Amino acid sequence: MRAILETLTNHSLKVGLGLVLLMSCVLASQATARPLDDVIESGEITIFVYSDYAPYSYEVDGKPVGIDVEIATELAKALGVELKLLMRGADENLDDDLRVNIWKGDLIHRKVADVMMHVPVDPEVDHRNEFAVIMGGYFQETMAVIFDNNKIPEIKTFGRFVSQQIAVELDTAYDFFLSGSFRGQLLQSIRRGRTFQDAVELYASGEVPALLASRAQTEWVLAQTPDLNSVVVQPPMPGMVRLGWPIGISIKHDSRDLGYELTDVLSEMQHSGKLDAIYTKYGVTYIAPIE
Amino acid sequence: MKQMKVWLAAAVGAACLSTTAIADVTIEEIVADQASGDDIVSYGLGPRGQRYSPLATLNKGNIKNLFPVWSFSFGGEKQRGQESQPLIKDGVMYVTGSYSRMWAIDIRSGEEIWQYDARLPEGILPCCDVVNRGAAILGDKVYFGTLDAKIVALDAKTGKVVWRKTIGDYEAGYSYTAAPLIVPTEAHGPLIVTGNSGGEFGIVGEVQARNPETGELVWSRPTIEGHMGTLNGAESTMTGKKNESWPGDIWQNGGGAPWLGGTYDPDTKLVFMGTGNPAPWNSHLRPGDNKWTSARIAIDPENGEIAWGFQTTPHDGWDYDGVNEFISFDMEKDGETIKAGASADRNGFFYVLDRTNGEFVSAAPFVQNISWAEGIDENGRPIYVDDNRPGNPVESADGKKGKSIFAVPSFLGGKNWMPMAYSQDTEMFYIPSNEWGMDLWNEPTTYKKGAAFMGAGFTITPIFDDYIGSLKAMDPATGEVRWEYRNKAPLWGGVLTTAGGLVFTGTPEGYLKAFDDETGEELWKFQTGTGIVSSPITWEQDGEQWVAITTGWGGAVPLWGGEVAKFVSYLNQGGSVWAFKIPESLASK
Repeated sequence: MRAILETLTNHSLKVGLGLVLLMSCVLASQATARPLDDVIESGEITIFVYSDYAPYSYEVDGKPVGIDVEIATELAKALGVELKLLMRGADENLDDDLRVNIWKGDLIHRKVADVMMHVPVDPEVDHRNEFAVIMGGYFQETMAVIFDNNKIPEIKTFGRFVSQQIAVELDTAYDFFLSGSFRGQLLQSIRRGRTFQDAVELYASGEVPALLASRAQTEWVLAQTPDLNSVVVQPPMPGMVRLGWPIGISIKHDSRDLGYELTDVLSEMQHSGKLDAIYTKYGVTYIAPIE
Repeated sequence: MKQMKVWLAAAVGAACLSTTAIADVTIEEIVADQASGDDIVSYGLGPRGQRYSPLATLNKGNIKNLFPVWSFSFGGEKQRGQESQPLIKDGVMYVTGSYSRMWAIDIRSGEEIWQYDARLPEGILPCCDVVNRGAAILGDKVYFGTLDAKIVALDAKTGKVVWRKTIGDYEAGYSYTAAPLIVPTEAHGPLIVTGNSGGEFGIVGEVQARNPETGELVWSRPTIEGHMGTLNGAESTMTGKKNESWPGDIWQNGGGAPWLGGTYDPDTKLVFMGTGNPAPWNSHLRPGDNKWTSARIAIDPENGEIAWGFQTTPHDGWDYDGVNEFISFDMEKDGETIKAGASADRNGFFYVLDRTNGEFVSAAPFVQNISWAEGIDENGRPIYVDDNRPGNPVESADGKKGKSIFAVPSFLGGKNWMPMAYSQDTEMFYIPSNEWGMDLWNEPTTYKKGAAFMGAGFTITPIFDDYIGSLKAMDPATGEVRWEYRNKAPLWGGVLTTAGGLVFTGTPEGYLKAFDDETGEELWKFQTGTGIVSSPITWEQDGEQWVAITTGWGGAVPLWGGEVAKFVSYLNQGGSVWAFKIPESLASK
């Protein structure tokens, strides 16, 4: 199964002809989110994943890779249809992402996906977004700190970062937590990367001795930086409302049958160990969703 | 295929134009635009942006005889908000539309000469609406900015691209919607000046000046303290002092986008830009004044240096952008003439500053029930109401929704983007304002990019049951509101005033309306069939006075909705230009 990347990348933008071809491709498949039968009949499924979001979904040499990309590939395979990835950045919050990627589409091209990956399973969010449905929890997420043990002996609390710098991806839940907690005491210590990769670079280059991200992200960084004496820890996070949250999928409200079908596929992947294998490939310990 | 269509249209256009000679627009014409009634070659009817026309053929007595001549449809499915102000030169109208489109129209026939459609890439972050506010014109080219943060120069005769340059990286969240500004300089000749716009966090406001012939960058000036400007391809000076009013590294992504563009005063030879709110939204994460966000800055166009800055909302916590237009005018006060400038801010106060040095002269509220500040002190600084500052979500550690506060104005502002007008006859400003507030609370179940955080929830709520929109006549010398026109839906369009004693503005309900500039009495209205959120113009064509307005409901109001929805949810979208005139035979009746 070959993943077809429909989103524009830096590379394709530089090629005028590529742009034209992509545009016509987009126009031809101006899909609205669809129920199961329509998806099967059309022979293809469009699945949304976030861009620049290692280890879940990102690009290597212009090709989409990552945990969510591999799971999406399995979902398409299980339905016997071709996978089309819709890879886009995040809006201000999940509610916006559901609107843009699942039920209404973006302002410019009105494009939506049949399925959105990496959606926190939260009944409140589900209730207040009446046109989107969240289900199919497949992973348990939480926050963690990775630090270089050669530079920092131990981290028991975030008090360590009054004196030590810590890297974080700009404008993320992790950034908000560091910036807003501890009465602003860490404000001088935060080093923000515009993308997650930029934040990782701050850590991997040795410039900043620690990084806050999701646990999966920190474990992936651990695997990427064998030269560092890295340790992943989870110090107490006062002020965090949720210390962990299940990650699932979302579909449009009139496509519940598609959601149920994919939930069964995900459940089967969990029990067969297939999910575990995918996460392990990226250095991440698989934890089943706690719902 | 598309290109062929454009060429064909251009050929047809050339044939149509055989009776009209299009002369090049000079920088002198732009600087003196306000005095000439027969063309409009700048955004704001003159670079000061007063939106005052010296034409008096159309007046209070004969406006009943103003009638429509033609309506031009933008076509297609790309409707949404039309916020554009047309330009007029030698019988041709240049008008931009939603989704980065532009047209040249033969004014006498209302027929299309050419159309330009920017091909917008996927992956534009959906932060902003898809509006465009207008074009600029100089020499034989017209200029406008596109949603993917490019500026395009088109051949005015054919609509073909002459050059296309990047203002910012749309993949990093930058966009562009304002009308470019063209200003004279001694060092570089005319320059085309743009701001930028974009998503909340992760961008830095910047003003750029380019050579209008080639599009090459001449200077750039970031609006946020700590960033370096450029001049002639080399680094020039730093904006302010790094970390003086920002903690840590937040200044690197501090916001402050000058997304509404600027004005120019030929007298002081300064460019005035307004800047957006700081980022992130939660003010508790960035203690300090956060310069120069929510401010007006004066820039010397010769070198891009900041001559002065004035913050209307230092350490903003309510999303009160300071982008609003700064209009130069001379004010008589206590027997003296002050070289003044005025701005009606999102924060609900109308400011008068000395435009030569940015010193504070006065401030007065132009909307009711302002809650975030008791007033403005003698130095121009807000007297904050601390209880009315949105709290720090992270400090509601129990994760409960927390108490809600009601702040006035709402983040859409006492006045949003829509430009006011200044009459040289009545010496009053006509401000399109809105009476609304916002409920704000801590929202524990919020997620971003798959991770949980404590965010903030909000909803916009009207203050009065029967109206939100309020057009006000403000005396800048006294701060008094002389008259008010109330409109049920929020006002979202610009204002025009004329030597004929008229004040024009459009309403979301679809009416273009004219008022008596002294009393506010409604003298004339015309139903255009869709909401109006743009700025009207007037000019003289073949000895007759014309009026034009773009129509098409949209902009930020329908995006945010809230309690306001019941005032606007029934409004239909559209996309067209309406042209009106008063025939010579009826002008004297």
